[in-house]
Amino acid sequence: MLMLKRLKKLFTIRFVLTIMLIISCAFAGYRIYYKVKYWGFSFAPHEKTNIWTVEANVSFVANGEPIHISLAKPKSSDEYKILDEDVVAPGYKTKISQDRISLTSDGRDGQQNVYYRILLFDNTNGKGKIAAPAPKAPEKPIFSKQQEQTTQELISLASKQTGDAVQQLIRLFNQTPPEPTVVAFLPANKTPKDLAQIISNLLAYQGISSRLARGIKLQEDKTSMEPDLMLEAYMDGRWKLYDLTTGQIGLPKDFIIIQRGGKSLLDIAGGYESNVKFSVLKSVTTSFNLAGKRAKLSNEQKAFDSSIYNLPVAQQNTIKWLMIFPLAILVIAVVRNVIGLSTMGTFTPMLIAMALVKTGLVPGLICFVIIMTLGLLIRALFSKLNLLLVPRISAVVVCVILIIQYMCVFSYQLGSDIGSSAMFFPIIIMAWIIERASITWEEDGPFNSCREIVFSLVAALATYVIICNSTIRYIMFAFNELNLVLLFVIMLLGTYTGYRLTELKRFRPLVK
Amino acid sequence: MFQWLSKYFASPKALHEAGILGMNSRNFKFISKYNKRRRYPLVDDKVQTKALAQKFGITTPRLIGTIEYQHQVSDFQDMVKDWESFVIKPAHGSGGKGVLVIKSHRENTYFTPSGRMLTYKDIYQHLSNTLSGLYSLGGQYDTAVLEEMVNFSHIFDDYSYQGIPDVRLIVYRGYPVMAMTRLATAASGGRANLHQGAVGVGLDIKTGKTLKAVMRNLPITHHPDTHADLSKIEVPLWKEHLLIGAKAYEMTRLGYLGADIVLDANKGPMMLELNARPGLAVQIANGIGLGKVLKKVDKFYPKRLSPEERVEFLLNYQDK
Repeated sequence: MLMLKRLKKLFTIRFVLTIMLIISCAFAGYRIYYKVKYWGFSFAPHEKTNIWTVEANVSFVANGEPIHISLAKPKSSDEYKILDEDVVAPGYKTKISQDRISLTSDGRDGQQNVYYRILLFDNTNGKGKIAAPAPKAPEKPIFSKQQEQTTQELISLASKQTGDAVQQLIRLFNQTPPEPTVVAFLPANKTPKDLAQIISNLLAYQGISSRLARGIKLQEDKTSMEPDLMLEAYMDGRWKLYDLTTGQIGLPKDFIIIQRGGKSLLDIAGGYESNVKFSVLKSVTTSFNLAGKRAKLSNEQKAFDSSIYNLPVAQQNTIKWLMIFPLAILVIAVVRNVIGLSTMGTFTPMLIAMALVKTGLVPGLICFVIIMTLGLLIRALFSKLNLLLVPRISAVVVCVILIIQYMCVFSYQLGSDIGSSAMFFPIIIMAWIIERASITWEEDGPFNSCREIVFSLVAALATYVIICNSTIRYIMFAFNELNLVLLFVIMLLGTYTGYRLTELKRFRPLVK
Repeated sequence: MFQWLSKYFASPKALHEAGILGMNSRNFKFISKYNKRRRYPLVDDKVQTKALAQKFGITTPRLIGTIEYQHQVSDFQDMVKDWESFVIKPAHGSGGKGVLVIKSHRENTYFTPSGRMLTYKDIYQHLSNTLSGLYSLGGQYDTAVLEEMVNFSHIFDDYSYQGIPDVRLIVYRGYPVMAMTRLATAASGGRANLHQGAVGVGLDIKTGKTLKAVMRNLPITHHPDTHADLSKIEVPLWKEHLLIGAKAYEMTRLGYLGADIVLDANKGPMMLELNARPGLAVQIANGIGLGKVLKKVDKFYPKRLSPEERVEFLLNYQDK
C-alpha cells in the first residue's frame, strides 16, 4: 500500500513528462545520427557536395580475337562514394564487380572505344584513413652483394632525412641535387613507376609492406589525363598514401584512387595499342538533394521513400513552413508563461512574426504600423456609430482589405515594393488586433492599449528572430523529430509553477 | 547593478519565502486541480448563478427578468414598470463591463446614479449591444439580465469616489482565506480595477477590518479623492459575508473561487457574482502571500464541515 502511494507520488505528471522528454531526445538523437549517416543530411542548410563525373576512355585496336577487357575501378565505400556508374560499350557484355569491370565480346576489328563513367561525391569523413588488416610481411628482395651494400648505404642516407621511413626514402630520391649514390642506383630515364618500384623494394628490404596506387586528381573540366601514381605503405596499423615527389602523407585533396596493389589498371585480351584516358567534370549540388541517392546506397531507400523528403517539392515547402511552427509556439509559450507579457490574443504575435518573415523586417513593420494606425482611426469612427459586434468587426475587415489594396497601389506608383508586402499580413488577425486595441483604448486608456500592442510586437519580434533564421528553419525541417522534443518541452512548460518575470516586479512591494 | 535590480524586482526566492502565489502556480496547482471545467458555466452565467444561489440560501439582488432575443428587447419597459430602479447586466460579463444602473425613470427618460439622462433609445441600444455579445467574455451572443438595484449601505460612502465598493473574498476549499475591498478613484475613472488605479484595501479575514491599503502597488493611508482614513474601515456583518463565501463553495463545488459581495442597507450582504479565476491582486492589497495561507488550509483546516462550521472554525482558529 505504502509502495503504491510512493509510486504514485513518483509518477507525477512532471516526472512522466520529463521521462517522455528524455525518450524523445534519445529518439531524435538517434534519428539525427541516422539521417546524417545514411541520408547524408547536414546541419548547414546550403552545404554543397561536389559531384565528380569521371570518365575513363579505353581505346585499343582489336585484332579479331575474342575481346576481354578488365579495367580497375574505384571501390565504393572508400573516400569517395559512388553515386552512379555506367558503361558505354555497345555490343559488349558487361560485368561490374567490387573493384573491376570486365567487358567481353566476340572478336572485332579496328579501333575500339569503350567508356566507363562514374558519378562520385565527396565523403569527407573517410579521406585517407583506411584501416585494414595487417598484410603479410613482404618478401625480402634478393640483392647481389653490391646491391645490398648500396641499399644499406641508401637507407643510412635516408635516415638523415625527415619523416618516417617511407618519407625519408621518397625525400632522398627527390633531393636536388641528388646524392651520387642515388644517381648510381637509379636508371637513367626514371619514370614514376620505376621510382615507386625502387622505393617499394627498399621498403621491403626493411620489412615494410607497400603497394602502388593509381588514381586521378579530380580537377574541374580536366580531360585526357594519365592516372597518377602513388605509393601506399602499411605503417602504424593502416595503409598510408605517400606522394612520390614530396613524401606527403594522406590522400591529396580531390584525389581518387582507382586501383591499388599489383594488379594492373587495364588488361586487354584481343587488342593492342591499348590506352586509358580519364576526364573529370565537376558539378555542385546541395547535400540535401543527394539524400535520396545516398539512402539508396546505404540500403535505406524504403525508409526514405516513406519520409516527408520524398513528397513533391510544393508539399515539402509547405511542410518546411509548418515545421517551424512548434518552435514559434514555444517562444510564445515562454513569452507568456515565463516572462509573463500579456499579448493580444495567444498566437497573434506568432502570426505577425510569420508575416514579417515573408515581408522582411523593415517593410513588414512599416506596413504593420500603417495598417494599425489607419485601422484604429477608422475603428474610432465606427465606435461612434454603436454598431453591433459582428457587423462592426466585418466592417473593420473590409477596411483592412481596402487599406492593403491602396497601400499596394500607392507604393507601386512611388516605385517601392514596401506596400505589396502588406498583402502577407493575415487580414482577419489584423482586424481583430484593431478591434481589441480599440476596445482596450476605450476601456483602459491609450497607454494600456499601446502597451499591449508594443508587447505583442516584442513577442512577434522575438519569434521573428528565431524563425527568420534559415539555418534554424532548415534544421527543424531536416531533423523534424526535434518537434517531438519541442512537444514535451511545451508540455513540461505547462507544469511550470514558478514566478513569471513580470511577477517579480509586480509583487516586489510584498518583500521587504 | 544588482541594487538597481533589487529595487524594482524581487528575487524568486524572496517571493517564495513570503509565500506569494504566482499566476502559473495558481493555474496549475489550484485552478486546474480544484475547479472542474464543467462547473464554470455556473459562475460565468449570472442567471444560473442567481438561480443556484437561491437554492443554497444565498441572498442575491432580485431578478426582474432576462432578455434573450432581440425581439424581446422592446418588452423591457413592461418588465421594469413596477421597479423604480434597476440594473442591466450582461449574463456573461466580467469586471463590471456593460453594467448599466438606472436609479429612476419616468416615461421614456432614465437617470443613472450620477445624474446622466438616457432616452429609451439609449437603453434599447445598450440591450442590443449586450445581446450581440459586446460585453460578454468571448464575444458570443449573450443574455441581458435585469435585476433590482442594491440599496447600498452608506458605510462606504466616504470611501469611494464613484461606484459602490464590494468585498472580494477568496474562498479556498470552502474556507474564506483572504478578503479585500476595491475603492474607485478619480484616477481609475470610477472603476474598481486595481491596475487602473483603484485603491485596494486588504481586510482581515477574521474581523473585516483594514489590514493595509494600496494604490498602484504603493501603500497609502487616505483615499486620494475623498481623503477618508482608510485604516478605519470595518465591514459590518462580517460573519454573514464569510458565510456567503463559504456557501458559495457548496453551491459551485469550485475549490478556488472569488466571491464579490455587496452590503445592502436592508437585506445585509448579498452575493453579486462569483469568479472561477480570481486574480492575485488581493495579495498586494493584504500585503500577505496567498500561497502560504492556502498551504495552511491544506494542512490544518478540517475537511467535510458544513459552511457554518467552517466559518466558526475560521473565526476561532489561532495561528501557531
